Amino acid sequence: MSVILPLLFLLTAASGTAVVLIRDPARQIFAIAGNGIVLAILFTALQAPDVALSEIAVGAAAVPLLFLVALMAVRAGKVEQASDEGREP
Amino acid sequence: MTPRLRLTLLGAALAALLPGTAAVIGRLPEFGATIATYGERINAIVPKERHVANMVSAINFDLRGLDTLGEEFMLLAAITGTVVLLRGRRGEDMTDRAMRLPGRAILPRSEAVVLTCRLAGPLLMLFGLYIVVHATVTPGGGFQGGVILASGTLLAYLGEGYSGWRDVVRSHWLDAMEGGGALLFALCGLAPMLVGAAFMQNVLPFGTFRDLYSGGLMLIENLGVALAVCGGFTQLFLEFLEETREADGPDEPGEDTA
Repeated sequence: MSVILPLLFLLTAASGTAVVLIRDPARQIFAIAGNGIVLAILFTALQAPDVALSEIAVGAAAVPLLFLVALMAVRAGKVEQASDEGREP
Repeated sequence: MTPRLRLTLLGAALAALLPGTAAVIGRLPEFGATIATYGERINAIVPKERHVANMVSAINFDLRGLDTLGEEFMLLAAITGTVVLLRGRRGEDMTDRAMRLPGRAILPRSEAVVLTCRLAGPLLMLFGLYIVVHATVTPGGGFQGGVILASGTLLAYLGEGYSGWRDVVRSHWLDAMEGGGALLFALCGLAPMLVGAAFMQNVLPFGTFRDLYSGGLMLIENLGVALAVCGGFTQLFLEFLEETREADGPDEPGEDTA
C-alpha cells in the first residue's frame, strides 16, 4: 500500500497536467477521461468506493461524452461558416 | 481591466487570503489519520438504528435526506435549463424518429464496435440496476446507478447508430422519469407527515441488516433518485445529440452562428 499511494498521486498529477498541456480539444477530452479513471482508482485505494463510482460514472464517462458530442456539434456547424469566422486572441 | 490591475487585484486577494488558508491547512488532521468524530458516530448509529450497511446512502437518504432533496431539484433545474437552451428555436417540437443535418456524413462502424456494444450494453445496464437496488448494502446507489444506466443507453448509440438509439429512447418517457423521480423523492418527504411523523421521517419497517430490503423509506427515495438521474442524463445526451442533427438547420444560415 505504501508504494501504491505515492504512485497514484504521481499519476494523478501527470494526467492532470496532461489535460492542461494538451491543446487539441478532441485529445483533451480523452485526457480528461484518463484523469477521471486515475482519480477513480485513487479514490478506491483511499477506501472511498462510493466516490470512486461517482467519479468513474460522471468524470470518466458522462462528462467526456458530453464534451465529445458538443465538439461534434461545433464541427458540424463549422463547415458552413468556416470562412467568416474571425480568430480573436 | 488592464493586466496590471488584474495582477494587483490578484496580489491583494492572495495577501488577504493566504495567511488564513495556511493556518487552516496547518491545523488539518494528518493524511491517513483516524476517522473523524462524525464518521465514528455514523458508524455507531446507522447499523443499529436504520439496519443499513452503506453509511453513505444512510447519510444521503436519511440523516441528511433534506440536502439530497435540494440536490435532486438542483439537478432537475440544471437539466431543464440545458434542455431549454439546447432546444432553442426547435421549441416544443419533438419527434420520436431521428433527424439528420443534411450533408452530414454517416460514419461506418466496424463490426467489432457493434459486437462489443451489443455484448457490453446489456451487461452494463444489468450492472447499473445492481448498483441501484443494492444502494443500502454495497457502495453505490441511485445516483451512480442512474448514471451507469444512462451510459448503457449510449452504448446502443455507439453500436446501432443515432436512429437505432432513438428507436429505443423516447423523449417523453425521459421527461416522465426525470420529473417523476424528483416527485417521488418529494412525496417520500411528505408522505410520513400524513401519519403524523416528521418530514422525511423513516416510518417504514427497516428490514434486515445487510439484506437487500433494508433501510425502509431509503429504498423508495433511492429509486426516485435513480429514475431522475437516469432520465435526466439520457435527456441531456439526447438534446446534445439532437442538436447536431437539427433538421431545419441550413434553411436560414446565419442563425446558427450564435
